Amino acid sequence: MKTKSILSALLAGALTLTMTACSSSGSSTGTTTTKSADTQATDTGATTATGDESTATSEDSLTPSGSSDALEVLIWDTNQQPGIQEILDEFTEKTGIKTDLQVKSWDSYWTLLEAAAQAGGLPDVMWMHSNVSQMYMKNGLLLKLDDYIADSTEIDLSNYMSEITDLYTYDGATYGIPKDYDTIALWYNKTMFDAAGLSYPDATWTWDDLYENAKKLTKSDGSQYGFTLSPSNNQAGYYNVIYSMGGKVLSDDKKTSAYDDPTTIEAMELVGKIVADTCPDVTTMSETGDDVLFESGTVAMTTQGSWMVPAFKSNEYVAENCDVAVLPYAASTKTRASICNGLGWTASATSERPDDCWTLLEWLGSKDMQLKQAELGVTMSAYLNTSDAWAQNTDLFNLQAYLDVTTEQTGDATNELILRPYTYKTTVWEDAANQAFVSAWTDTSQMESVCKSVAQEMNTAISQENS
Amino acid sequence: MMNKKNVAISGNHRRPGLTYWEKSQNLWGWLFIFPTMLGLVILNIWPMLQSFYQTFFRTGDFGRGNIYIGGQNYIQLLKDSEVWQALWNTLKLTLLQVPVSIAIALVLAVLLNRKMRGRAVYRAIFFLPMIAAPAAVAMVWKWLYNSQFGLLNHLFHTKIEWISNPAIAWISIAVIGIWSSIGYNMVLFLAGLQDIPKDYYEAGAIDGATGPAAFFRITLPLLSPMIFFVLVTSVISGLQVFDSIYMIMSKSNPALPKTQTIVYLFYQYSFVNGNKGYGSTIVILLLAVIMLITALQMKLQKKWVFYN
Repeated sequence: MKTKSILSALLAGALTLTMTACSSSGSSTGTTTTKSADTQATDTGATTATGDESTATSEDSLTPSGSSDALEVLIWDTNQQPGIQEILDEFTEKTGIKTDLQVKSWDSYWTLLEAAAQAGGLPDVMWMHSNVSQMYMKNGLLLKLDDYIADSTEIDLSNYMSEITDLYTYDGATYGIPKDYDTIALWYNKTMFDAAGLSYPDATWTWDDLYENAKKLTKSDGSQYGFTLSPSNNQAGYYNVIYSMGGKVLSDDKKTSAYDDPTTIEAMELVGKIVADTCPDVTTMSETGDDVLFESGTVAMTTQGSWMVPAFKSNEYVAENCDVAVLPYAASTKTRASICNGLGWTASATSERPDDCWTLLEWLGSKDMQLKQAELGVTMSAYLNTSDAWAQNTDLFNLQAYLDVTTEQTGDATNELILRPYTYKTTVWEDAANQAFVSAWTDTSQMESVCKSVAQEMNTAISQENS
Repeated sequence: MMNKKNVAISGNHRRPGLTYWEKSQNLWGWLFIFPTMLGLVILNIWPMLQSFYQTFFRTGDFGRGNIYIGGQNYIQLLKDSEVWQALWNTLKLTLLQVPVSIAIALVLAVLLNRKMRGRAVYRAIFFLPMIAAPAAVAMVWKWLYNSQFGLLNHLFHTKIEWISNPAIAWISIAVIGIWSSIGYNMVLFLAGLQDIPKDYYEAGAIDGATGPAAFFRITLPLLSPMIFFVLVTSVISGLQVFDSIYMIMSKSNPALPKTQTIVYLFYQYSFVNGNKGYGSTIVILLLAVIMLITALQMKLQKKWVFYN
């Protein structure tokens, strides 16, 4: 009896353990909110959005829904899916090579990709992000493109924004064709501004103006807030405040955290002030994403990346009541800083059809298709001088606001584009920072001490990277 | 559960001097459990050993270039307050979820064991949550709980932060667990109830035991083996809660540190941060806890479980 019960206990426990080693399959779940995936098209924050319709996507494995002779293409943004599909359809028409486009949510995308990489089964063609691109390139998981580029008449890397090209270059070799780039701008609710008798945000606004106006737009009964900024909204949120004030998140050599830098702390104190006086409770922001709070008419302003335009365009309320303006600048430095990032189209090093993969990459990077991506309003394209086409993709909003920050100067302030801070394993310290800032958001008087502890945590994480 | 029993019992069959018939029985026995054994070894036992092996390494990117670091992961584990908090969260969740779920399921099973109109319909309704995918269930509850737009706050005219207030979020999560497991437990109890011969109740009725007395003196003791089975399996699955946390709690949720479970933490380390070594170490801790609790239950069962 005794041995029997011990044995059963052992076996019962064994069932738990099994979860570790069976990689991807055990971990994935059946459904996800598309909304949350959209929110983080290029931002890596937490899953936030709710209250929107959800689409069920199969998360368990890469199961080609089309024919087996199709190239597998994997992306993470449902907002971009229709446009990308159109570009892929044209590709199939031209070349006869079939493609099978699949969309995963941001979180499961990376879980899936890592498991697939470990098992040697990466999709043929996929999006890559600066957060982890170094790791994928260093481990030889992506198809090296140099020879193809040398022979190509379509692709000349000097035609793309060099910052984006650099993200997908490792040890002098190119692994990705720049897909797009993104900047940040300030969205505002015209109806709420009108009701309060305030003038709309413009190029003269500083972060202090944003604070003052947001405070006026915040109603004491909690029915309306001036601004929203969740602790996980770094790229489209507080990073911009930090860099415009002259602070940093990461040292220039990418070896240490700069959250303990006095200027950075000063910027985060301002962020804390904005959060405390003009934003919904952190509990609310954690349940409902910044974008959804804005779309539902709960908040008057939010800073959002250019990748959100397709979502806002298709939202009736936003289309009717809202518009977008250039980001505020920092009075102390007379600088306006927008975080900028860009995705790359990459192919698997172990694909059975590298040549077909390249044909597709070449197609996606070609001037015509980059222009088409911009015209369709999918995203701004990485191909130089295609952005005007993007700005005209809708007349609902003043999309020029996203392009203004790419010029030298707007109004009184100098503009700066800052590449989204990244290291070898960005996700690890970024997630830790997002979680740590929750307590600073809850009690903003702790901002300084939280910044300092985040810096420590981040330094430990960076020192453990295998780069 | 079946295969575990088979494995456990099979050890007792080896006696010297087997007859031909016994040998043949033995062979066929093994042959019949072979497919299950094979699955168990390939899908459970081998990965388990691998997980254990991984705990002594700092795993490299994509599982390449693992570095042997001895017991460092375990030392880190002992000092990691996040892990112990997660373990406490998990235990708290289980302690609330299991008894409540069993109590409700038991009452429902007894009520639905009588002859009544629409009995099958009720049984089907209560069993329904079991059929829905856990992730879909979590998604729907997430919307119900939303403090801004959720149905719950709308119905009750409250402004309760069901899933982001650290003090109540774990209870909200437990409610989902209770809701999803009632149906399954109820069906098991119904099966148990139908095994109880009517004679006992008739005899009891003659001696004046009806209603509550019959329930506590006849039903409960005779159902105790089934209750024990449900208890053991519920505790184990309670300690492995993952779906609801993963689907409902965002990473910037202030309640996350007070609600995240061990398996969720393990997932974060192993699959989000790519630190499989430490992730495996966390799950070894869970293994130890589950074994301990299960062994304890096995021992304690003698005090309250009646086998005829």
